[in-house]
Amino acid sequence: MDTKTSNTPFYEPSGDECELFERAWKNRLPLLIKGPTGCGKTRFVSHMAARLNLPLHTVACHDDLTAADLVGRHLIGDGETIWNDGPLTRAVREGGICYLDEVVEARKDTTVVLHPLADDRRMLPIDRTGELLQAPPSFMLVVSYNPGYQNFLKGMKPSTRQRFVSLTFDFPTAAQEEAVLIGETGIDTMTAKRLVSIAGAFRALRDHDLEEVASTRLLVYAATLIKDGYDPVRACRAALVETLTDDAETAVALNEVVSATFGR
Amino acid sequence: MEEYVGELWDRLITGAAEKRHAAVTVKLDDVAKSAAIFFRALGGDPGLGISAAPAVRHGARRRLLQRVAGSGEKVELSWRDGEVLRLPSQIDLFAEQALNRDLYFWLVALAAAASDNSQPWIIRNQLATQVTLARFPGLQSRYDRLVQAVIALRIPPEKLPADEAVQENTIRQALQYPGTVDAITLAAQPFQPVPLWPHPHPPLSAAASGAAGTGSPEQSGKAATKKSRRKHLAQRSDVKEDKNGFLMMFRAESLFSWSEFVKVNRPQDEEDDAETAQLAAEDMDNLTIASDGKTSAANVRFDLDLPSGAADDTPLGEGVLLPEWNWKKQVLQPDYCSLQQLIAADAKPCELPHALKNTANQLRRQFQALTPTRHWLKGQQDGDELDMDAWVQLVSERNSTMPTSEHGLYRAQVNQERDLACLLLADLSLSTDAYVSNHTRVIDVIRDSLLLFSEALTATGDSFALYGFSSLKRGNVRFHYIKGFEEKYGGQVRGRITAIKPGYYTRMGAAIRQASSLLVQQKKRQRLLLILTDGKPNDLDQYEGRYGIEDTRVALLEAKKLGLRPFCVTIDTEASDYLPHLFGAGGYVVIRNPEDLPKELPLLYAQMTR
Repeated sequence: MDTKTSNTPFYEPSGDECELFERAWKNRLPLLIKGPTGCGKTRFVSHMAARLNLPLHTVACHDDLTAADLVGRHLIGDGETIWNDGPLTRAVREGGICYLDEVVEARKDTTVVLHPLADDRRMLPIDRTGELLQAPPSFMLVVSYNPGYQNFLKGMKPSTRQRFVSLTFDFPTAAQEEAVLIGETGIDTMTAKRLVSIAGAFRALRDHDLEEVASTRLLVYAATLIKDGYDPVRACRAALVETLTDDAETAVALNEVVSATFGR
Repeated sequence: MEEYVGELWDRLITGAAEKRHAAVTVKLDDVAKSAAIFFRALGGDPGLGISAAPAVRHGARRRLLQRVAGSGEKVELSWRDGEVLRLPSQIDLFAEQALNRDLYFWLVALAAAASDNSQPWIIRNQLATQVTLARFPGLQSRYDRLVQAVIALRIPPEKLPADEAVQENTIRQALQYPGTVDAITLAAQPFQPVPLWPHPHPPLSAAASGAAGTGSPEQSGKAATKKSRRKHLAQRSDVKEDKNGFLMMFRAESLFSWSEFVKVNRPQDEEDDAETAQLAAEDMDNLTIASDGKTSAANVRFDLDLPSGAADDTPLGEGVLLPEWNWKKQVLQPDYCSLQQLIAADAKPCELPHALKNTANQLRRQFQALTPTRHWLKGQQDGDELDMDAWVQLVSERNSTMPTSEHGLYRAQVNQERDLACLLLADLSLSTDAYVSNHTRVIDVIRDSLLLFSEALTATGDSFALYGFSSLKRGNVRFHYIKGFEEKYGGQVRGRITAIKPGYYTRMGAAIRQASSLLVQQKKRQRLLLILTDGKPNDLDQYEGRYGIEDTRVALLEAKKLGLRPFCVTIDTEASDYLPHLFGAGGYVVIRNPEDLPKELPLLYAQMTR
């Protein structure tokens, strides 16, 4: 769960998000990041943590994640119980960044511990130990979610939402995405261009034929395979087409786009 | 005997004349879905459907054998207009199946490239080719192969008269080196069709451009054998506002043949002899249809009368005015439709039909499993009580000096809530009067589905409502009340379900808007709008084709914005042409065998809400 990085991870900014992040951090405001899967939310947060030289505690939320998983719990040791800090508590104590990925996936009771932390009180009450932690100025709460495949049963409550400064991420522009692919994998400009063109074609199918469209992350996977010497058409088939659809006819069409771009 | 010999001769000469490759034919039906997705992926208009192109006379020089056989006169061409992308119904030009298939995808790619219609045809095609090849460099090798194969099929310039040879050479150059030809000098005889390019003057622009009668580009198989796929070349023309439909517009001494454009407005078609008309239509090269916003081009040629007030269902409350989206003008027309809620007047409380009882019992048992209950979860990290089993296990493991793993030592009580409301909207248009098997009509299937659906949902305790809809133009959208959210399911509701009957048309947008406004009042976390239908949206006025689809789409987008979740269950096997555009991937399901619908519907619901 801990990712402490010594050197700054690669990140290609698409706007003024770095500035906003810094300002939010300086002014002790929590941040909500929205955006489709694989568009660089997590990478952005780890990049910023490294830039600001803060410890980062990332929690990937899932539907069994409880408040105790975040705050901490008593573990039963040999004849005694030992209190064990959760990632949120650790981030508060250290004054680092706590990043809750896909926060809407978490159980509803987790929002209860987030509320006092996310407003101007900046407190973390720990019921079990009776402790009341005051977050240091350098602590920052960052949450993210994907509005696309949001489960209707699990929307984000307005009362939670309204405690955050929000930032929307989308897929980068073609030029930026090429830069990401080159920076991330070191492939040549021509291949990067073609991969981005494929992604553009697939993204046109959003809401019609594909539930989820090609993310930058998938493009990076494809680029990695190609860089490794794998045939581009087959790399795209493996990393993009088969990942995005199970429907045979849709796959045929997507493969046609791939071979229309890379040729056979 | 004569007939037999004639038949033999015909088969022989046609076979010799037609250089076709039946064994490697690629049919539009087989590639249509992939081609449509390919088209959208390349940036084509997502609202366009794909349809077979009509065969047209091209008038170009044919080979001697073809002339003897009287074949090869007509070709199918590809083009796109505001509603559909037309492709040949089958391609069997080349000896290699891969090439035939490639031609389909090439035509689609070319259609997806935005083309400037003001440019002459020959320039337009070269530009589109260049744009497509630049954007998808992988197509280059495929294009080269297609050009080679196409040129091999064409009558060589050496065998043509001088002017046609020049014309042919220009086309060859444009194909081989796109971008190098600036103009074409047309010969007296139209040029041979160019399969790689779309129609030089598709019927939509034909009236406007009035270009010289040059040849048509698309040579592919003969006209499709299946009647259903055979499309007619239609010509669109404007109806002159100031001209009376019953005024003779021509001098009586000139005789008209069938294929000439007779400028007679026909607000109503009162000819009864449909069969003769059908035969005549088959023989015609052009069917001219004018769109005046009043008539329907559908097969239904009659206007349905609304029943008298006494015989009709009882109106519930005031009518509602609803907006409608006009995609041609791209505006939402406020208060455009009038919707009346109705309740069946003659519905008597009744029991579940005997035939459904077994299935209903089975479903009820299955659905009871979905009912929310409070129950204990063991081995939790947190909880209200200690989990003694886990504790004992931990202690014994520790005593046996086994390495202990981390255990959850608590028991927690959880409430599994089903906080959802579902509104089922059933299509009750006249098309549901059609038979799906020897005994059952669509409406019977819908009736059984509603009954079983209600039985199943009553078992879960989920809040649900049932409504039906039909329409007769924008002034009469009929919204049938079957069961409201507050009403309990019982004999009365069963009576109303049993009383549903087919009628009128499908103005889906208005019905969806009304249903959304009802559903949104339900204060539940998950709100499901289930739409049960058997076909496309359509109504007697301009509400058909793309107009109806786009209005429905806008109504659905509005519903999604309200936080509702629309889902469509259909028995229309052609639904994959338009449903992805309306509901998106995963937003609809097509039931192949309509008789399965009553059983499938509750199971689908269970899957979606689990």
